[in-house]
Amino acid sequence: MTEKISVRNLKFFYGATLALKGISIPLYANKVTAFIGPSGCGKSTLLRVLNRMYDLYPGQRAEGEVIFDGKNILEPGQDLNLLRARVGMVFQKPTPFPMTIYENIAFGLKLYENLSKSELDGRVEDALKRAALWTEVKDKLGANGLSLSGGQQQRLCIARTVAIRPEVILFDEPCSALDPISTAKIEELIDELKHDYTIAIVTHNMQQAARVSERTAFMYLGELIEFGETSKIFTAPSDPRTQDYITGRFG
Amino acid sequence: MSDHTVRAYDDELMEIGRKITEMGGIAETMLTHAIEALVKGDTELAQRVIATDPKLDALEREIEEKAILTIARRQPMAIDLRALVSAIRIASDIERIGDLAKNVGKRVVAMDGQFAPQKIVGGVVHISDLALERLHRVLDAYAHRDVAAALDVWEHDEEIDQLYNSLFRELLTYMMEDPRNIGFCAHLLFSTKNIERIGDHATNIAETIHYLVTGEAIVADRPRNADAYTPLTTG
Amino acid sequence: MAMSLCLAATVIGIVWLFLILFSLVWNGVPHLSLSTFIEQTPPPGEQDGGLANAIFGTLLMTVIGVGIGAPIGILAGTYLAEYGRYEKLSPTVRFINDILLSAPSIIIGLFIYGAVVVPMKHFSALAGSLALAVIVIPVVVRTTEDMLSLVPNTLREAASALGLPRAHVVWHVSYRAARSGIITGVLLAVARIAGETAPLLFTAFSNNFWSSNLLKPMASLPATINTFINTPDTNMKQLAWTGALLITVAVLTLNIAARALSNSKHDK
Repeated sequence: MTEKISVRNLKFFYGATLALKGISIPLYANKVTAFIGPSGCGKSTLLRVLNRMYDLYPGQRAEGEVIFDGKNILEPGQDLNLLRARVGMVFQKPTPFPMTIYENIAFGLKLYENLSKSELDGRVEDALKRAALWTEVKDKLGANGLSLSGGQQQRLCIARTVAIRPEVILFDEPCSALDPISTAKIEELIDELKHDYTIAIVTHNMQQAARVSERTAFMYLGELIEFGETSKIFTAPSDPRTQDYITGRFG
Repeated sequence: MSDHTVRAYDDELMEIGRKITEMGGIAETMLTHAIEALVKGDTELAQRVIATDPKLDALEREIEEKAILTIARRQPMAIDLRALVSAIRIASDIERIGDLAKNVGKRVVAMDGQFAPQKIVGGVVHISDLALERLHRVLDAYAHRDVAAALDVWEHDEEIDQLYNSLFRELLTYMMEDPRNIGFCAHLLFSTKNIERIGDHATNIAETIHYLVTGEAIVADRPRNADAYTPLTTG
Repeated sequence: MAMSLCLAATVIGIVWLFLILFSLVWNGVPHLSLSTFIEQTPPPGEQDGGLANAIFGTLLMTVIGVGIGAPIGILAGTYLAEYGRYEKLSPTVRFINDILLSAPSIIIGLFIYGAVVVPMKHFSALAGSLALAVIVIPVVVRTTEDMLSLVPNTLREAASALGLPRAHVVWHVSYRAARSGIITGVLLAVARIAGETAPLLFTAFSNNFWSSNLLKPMASLPATINTFINTPDTNMKQLAWTGALLITVAVLTLNIAARALSNSKHDK
């Protein structure tokens, strides 16, 4: 199994606070890896290292290695915009841009590629189809992205991410603001997307982690407590802390 | 292990555990009484054993319903999920044990008044004692989540099988000796078979306990040679 | 008790506002006519005349003042909200901007007088425009920063996560999300300077004649009102009232427009 991303002894600091205490974990290609753990365990922080989102803020820094296709992305001199185009991210709250549905997707594309109008149309359609949103919006591509329902907005965000053809997609609690039906649609989508992308998902919903992922990592207080096959983690975890957390015995 | 954040969840699991224990107790009593009835030719006691069975059936249904409800309500994970699945399986095994004890009771009723020499019945009592002891130990292992004790029961299933085989031959001999023996010997043969099956269910329970505690099934064939056991496990 | 006091205070405030509006309409409307807009300011003792040169001067200087001040203000506000949000410089800039925001406009007039009028040796419309620009800047800086700060960070992160360079994020996402708010800020700045008198007195001064030369003194409505209301000439006094009405209506319209714009943003 190929390791698309290998995290090695990753330490992360918010100012002087150590938020990740030396994490090592692989993300296998074309697999879904779920990150679970109580709030503040560092799972979202880890995700934000993988596309170096933390660089947007001062005082945050990472140590260690994150090998992405053979290169350590933590080394200085990275083209962060290129990295983020290759490692897409979908956020907790749907974040459509204040523009039309079409523009939401086309706008990132236009920046990277010189596409003709028809090519652009094709890419937008393709992205919307991949995000299982096409049939719902094909007649109103000119409508404002904000006019869609929460679940549709989130799928629009996924379409937007998929459109620029990343290799890895990071999902940061993508369903926490959605109703069960929308959640099911997103989960179905993740299942589809893993054929073409490597996926990491942070979720507070353990059943969701159990449903969508092949590998699960349990994190606690900035440490990786247990990492293994999802089927094993949720039926017979080896660490008592994992067991306590997933069975609802924490604290 | 610490408690769940949701206390009602603990209560539900404990309630299910208590019901299993209750079922186990009833099944043990049924078996004890069935054997006693067999030995003494006590038809009345046998009738009581038969009459107890519906209670076990009802308890099994109750456990199953409670477990399903808890699964639906709590979406259990890991140890809790295994505990609930195990509860359903064990309840089903105990219910079968009850059926088998009831069958022995029915044999006693059917044998009504027939002569059963103590010499012959002695072997049946022996296998019954063995089955009873194993049932008792496996229920104990369940109550204490004791894998080692469960494995011990699991490993020694062979004893009952061997005893059953020798008893089978013995009963055949009696039948060949004197055709008048055929009637009650056939009844005893069926009773013995029932008791042997009870041993099998005790073994099933032992396997379930192993899964419940470790999260892994025992995949190795039961050793024909009892001391050669090596726990081969999945994973 | 407290409530009745508050209510009384509110009523008093509103009553004064309506009294002001009423007296403006009462005194300004009778003299309002087409000639107000096409004729120039009259010398004392004459009948008729209008405010054309003053209206033109106010419009021109306001446009130039906003033209200079708004871009600077928007860029500075953008720096504070987007690029320099975590820089040590930003709180200092913000503090100074707040002082500038509350600086009396006559001080700004004096500053421009010293910085522009004295070296040039004469009053000019350019100096007036610059004075107005200096008033516009802090208003626009403040509103731009506030409006951009209201744009959720998640939106910026989402845009950055697509690999968009920072400038694109600001331009396509932050500005678009804050657009109506920023425009509102500019409109409020326009409303603010349209009625300014003090900074113009030492800079653009005034002019009784039509002038579109930026290097020469230029008439403006507030300065004209200031002059005319102090004359004994009734015609000029009446023109002053009309001018005051015009400014008030313009400022009121701008404020309402700004309010409508920011409301329509919230409705979305």
